[in-house]
This record gives sequence, structure tokens and C-alpha cells, in this order.
Amino acid sequence: MISVQNISKSFGKVTAVDNVSLEAPDGKITALLGANGAGKTTSMRMIYALIKPEGGQVVVDGINTHEDPVAARARMGVLPDARGLYKRLTARENIVYFGRLQGMPEATIKDRCEELVERLGMGSFIDRKTDGFSQGQRVKVAIARALIHDPQNILLDEPTNGLDVMSTRAIRRFLKEQKALGKCILFSSHVMQEVSAVCDEITIIDGGQIVASGSEMQLRDKTGCENLEDAFVSLVGGEKLA
Amino acid sequence: MNFRAFKTVFFKEVLENARDKRTVMSSIVMGALFGPILMVIIMNTTINMQQDKAEQKLEVPVINQAGADHLLQFLRSQDVTILDFSDDPKKAINDKDHDVVLTISENFSERFEQGLPAKVKMYHDASAKGAAKVSVQRLRSLLNAYERSISVQRLQLRGVSPGLTNVIMIEEHDQATKESRGAMLLTVLPYFLIMGLFMGSMYLAIDTTAGEKERKSLEPLFLNPVKRDTVLAGKLAATVAFGLLTLVLTLVAFKLTLPWYPFEKLGMRFNMGMPVMLIMLLVLSPLALLAGAIQTIIAAFAQSYREAQTYVGLVLIVPMIPSMLLMFMPIKEQLWMMSIPILGQNLVINNLMRGDAVAWDAIGLAIAGTLIVGLALAWIAVKLYNREKMLFAD
Repeated sequence: MISVQNISKSFGKVTAVDNVSLEAPDGKITALLGANGAGKTTSMRMIYALIKPEGGQVVVDGINTHEDPVAARARMGVLPDARGLYKRLTARENIVYFGRLQGMPEATIKDRCEELVERLGMGSFIDRKTDGFSQGQRVKVAIARALIHDPQNILLDEPTNGLDVMSTRAIRRFLKEQKALGKCILFSSHVMQEVSAVCDEITIIDGGQIVASGSEMQLRDKTGCENLEDAFVSLVGGEKLA
Repeated sequence: MNFRAFKTVFFKEVLENARDKRTVMSSIVMGALFGPILMVIIMNTTINMQQDKAEQKLEVPVINQAGADHLLQFLRSQDVTILDFSDDPKKAINDKDHDVVLTISENFSERFEQGLPAKVKMYHDASAKGAAKVSVQRLRSLLNAYERSISVQRLQLRGVSPGLTNVIMIEEHDQATKESRGAMLLTVLPYFLIMGLFMGSMYLAIDTTAGEKERKSLEPLFLNPVKRDTVLAGKLAATVAFGLLTLVLTLVAFKLTLPWYPFEKLGMRFNMGMPVMLIMLLVLSPLALLAGAIQTIIAAFAQSYREAQTYVGLVLIVPMIPSMLLMFMPIKEQLWMMSIPILGQNLVINNLMRGDAVAWDAIGLAIAGTLIVGLALAWIAVKLYNREKMLFAD
């Protein structure tokens, strides 16, 4: 369960995120939907305690991330925008490295690793060096690495960005399984179909501010639009480029 | 500190970089072998050239030979080949056609017969190195010997004891020991040892910081429930370990190349037994921490791997400074100098090689001084990553 209250962040004179609040409950998939440069990645980075918000706070399972970032991070599994695998290590070594940094016992790391290999379908490449992996293989390894400690809260920044249909479906299926297990899942995306296909709750961010939130149905009703894409465009103030 | 996380980071960096052939090549081959092999080549070629010149027949071009038959006779009897010469002597020296040119003055024979100083001119280049210097020295000492023999004859003819003109008799006592003669040529050894150490840790310092930033793996790494200090400490430890490994290999390489040094030809001895090597290792070890920390700090400010390589490469000049100073200006050692990193190591190693006993307080001070500076820099390197700016390449 993630609760974000009034966080802001500016870089120099540019305000990237302005007074953002949102709730991501357990057992649901919550989306942070926004165009490129809307403040998604900066918001996510503050939520997973990589950078400090200038105001407000983030509470993960009752832990204030600003006061105890180490404990809060142990409750979260994060797939950041930058996947950053180690090319000279095998997929398994990448995953085990993070398991050890999470402080897990060796036996548990081994079991959990096997479980993720099966769930994400990584059997054919788990013991190969990650240099030269396809996008899909890389994302799968990065997700396994982020979730090795079986965290209650799963945060993903653009998880299916650049993936083909098969990989996308595999990731969606995996997220739905996690949701069924009662996990809290928060993911950021700019892809409407993606959000439409998997998310229960949607928060729309634009220009660093939250402009609307609710289920897809609620957002469509509110704007009187047929689909999520039209609703989104209407909520962020029309087609600025046109 | 979370020791398991520290260990995990350390072993991961060691494993990952050991798999990178470029790192291994640069630290082991370049760092450890470059210095010793270069030294062997340079010492052997210079000594062979000097010896060749000393054993060779001395050739002296002489201008205006007419008036000085007696002198030239003497020179020929001393195995000197006299060459006819009529070109510009200045040009011959400048163009390095000859090491030395002798000109007999016009009135040489007149003045010689009258018992007045008769002039000869010696053209040479005092700034010339090695072999040319040998030729000049040989000719000068031959001319001096000739002058002495004539003056003795003249005095005896006049019934004066030649001893009367010897006001002072100089008896030289060269205090250079066999080891110190060797050490003079080996003032560069500390430099090669220290440079090897800097080169050994260079790639890890870059790869674990700027490299990781460029590959965008720093962000996921810092999302683990481990303090950034601990992660950085593990990375720094791996960097220092590679520096130490290269140091040990450089020392071993020097030891193994010792048989190829022309020590006997120079009539000198060089002390590099096991105890001396161990003290060198002990004194140099804290420098690995200092080198790794400086390189990590500098790499942290670079945005890309290449940029970091440029900056960190410049740091290789730092260990040269004390070696250069000691080579060109003989400093009177003071105990406090030992506490200055790099300078202290240079002084201790030079003394060890010269065969002098080095006091333990000097060794202790060299170790402590470097260790304190190294720890301070390591602390800065580790804390630097608490700044948000350091995390992203964009």
C-alpha cells in the first residue's frame, strides 16, 4: 500500500512535479498515466525514495520513505526507467546480486530465482551473459531482479516500453498473477492500451500536476468520451500540438 | 555498516571486471610489466653505448696539424687516430659529425719552443649526453697528461724539483657505495611502482562509477535496501584491491627482471631481497587506497566513461612529481617529509635500494601519513554519492 501526499520537485527554475498525491491500494493495479515529460519518472523516483521530495511525504506500508529509506526500499520492488543490467554477468548472476543486497539467505535466493525463471519464461537464457539480450529478455531479467525479494509493493516505470506482443502479454499476465496474490502494483505509462488492459485505477498527470483520477469507466463518464485515449486528451486540455 | 552487502558489492565488482579483458590487460600487462621491461631496455642500451665508446679507438679531427708534431705523436702513441680536418669545427659539433674537434693555434710551435703557453682549442658540446661526453673526457685527460709530462721535463732541465709546483695533492675518496651507484640509476623505480598501482586501479574506479552511471545501472542498484555509503565502500574496496594486485605484480616483475640489469658492468650492487620487497609493499600499500579514492572522486564528476578516462588519465602525472624532484634536486631528507604521500614512499624506497638502513619511525610515518590522507579521500568519495546529482547521466 503506497500513499503519496503532496510531493513536489523542481530542478532549477523548472517545476517537474507540483503537489502530487495518489493512493495505490493492495490487490489493485494503479496507473500513473501521462505524456512524455509530464513528470512520471520524477514522481516515481520520489516514490521509491531515490530522490527527496521538496515537500509532502510518501508512506509505504506505514513507513515514511524520507525518514527510513532503507526499510521502505525493502518493502518495494522497483523496475526503474533505466533497466541497467550488468552485461558481463549472466542473467542469474544479475538476479542473485540483488537478492544478496536485499539481505536474503542464499537458499531462499535460489528457490525464488527458480520460481521467477518459470513464471517469466527465462529458462532459455538465464545462464547467458546479458550482453546482446533482446529488449524483452532484458525487461524480464530486470523485473526478476527487482522482485527477487517478493516485495509487497511493485513499482514499474514504463514496463512494456519497446516490447513485442508476446513479451508484453507475458508481463501483463505476470502482473495480474501478482495482483491476485494481493500485491500493490503502481506503474507509470504513456500507452493507453496498456493502461486500459491491466489497470484498475488511473491517475492522470500533466505538467507535473494531477488532473484526474479514478477507474477507466469513471474517467470516461466524467469526460463523456468513448475511450480512454479521448478521455485523456480531453483531460489534459486538448491537443496542444494541433 | 552492512558487512554482507559490502562483501556482495566487492565480489561482484571483482568478478565483473575480471571478466573484462581490457581491464586485466591494462592493469597487469601495462601497469606491472611496462616499467620493469622499459628499465631493462633503457639501462642496457645506455650502458652498452657508453662502454662501446670507452673501448673504441678515439678519433680526433685536428685542424692545422703542421706546428704540433710532438703533441700529435704523443696522442698517436696513446692509441688516438688523428684525422685531417679543415671544415668549420662549430658546424661539425652542431651536426654531431664529431664528438670533439681540436684546433692547433697558428703560433703553436713558436710559443712552444719559447716555453710560453701554446694554445689549442677544443670544440665540443658540454650539454651532450652519454657517449659524446666520454670522448671529450678522454681527450682532455690525454692533453692534461701531455702538459704534465712536458712541464716536468722543463723544470728538470732547469734543475727545479717538479714536486715544487704540486702545491696541493688531491686524493679522491668516492663515498658512493656499490648500492648507491645502482640507486642513482634506479631513482625511477618508485615511480614505476607507484604508476603501476595507479594504473591498476584506474579502470575499476571508472567502471564502477562513471561506467555504471553511463550504463544506467546505478539507479536500480541504489534501490536496494542498502546505504549508498556501503555500496560505494564495496566498490572502492574492489578498486583498491586491483591497485594492490598490480603493485604486487610490479614488484614481482622487477624481481624477475633483475638478472637482466647490467649491474656487474657498472660495478654496482642492488639490494632487492625479500625483506626489502616486503617493506616496499608495506610502505606502498596505503597508496592504493589514496589512488583508488582520488580516481573514484574524479570519475564521479564525469558524465561518461570516456570523459572519466580523460580526467583520471591526467592523475597519472601526480606520482611523477616527487620522482622528478628527487632526480633533479637532491633534497636533504627530514623526518617530516616521510608523512607526505608519494614523497615519503619515494624517499623510503630510494634509501632501501641504496642499502641504507631505514628507521622504523620513517617507515611508520610514511604509512600513517598516506593512510590518513587516503582515508579522508575515501570518506569524501563515499559521501559524494549521497548527492542526487551524482546518480543520473542525463
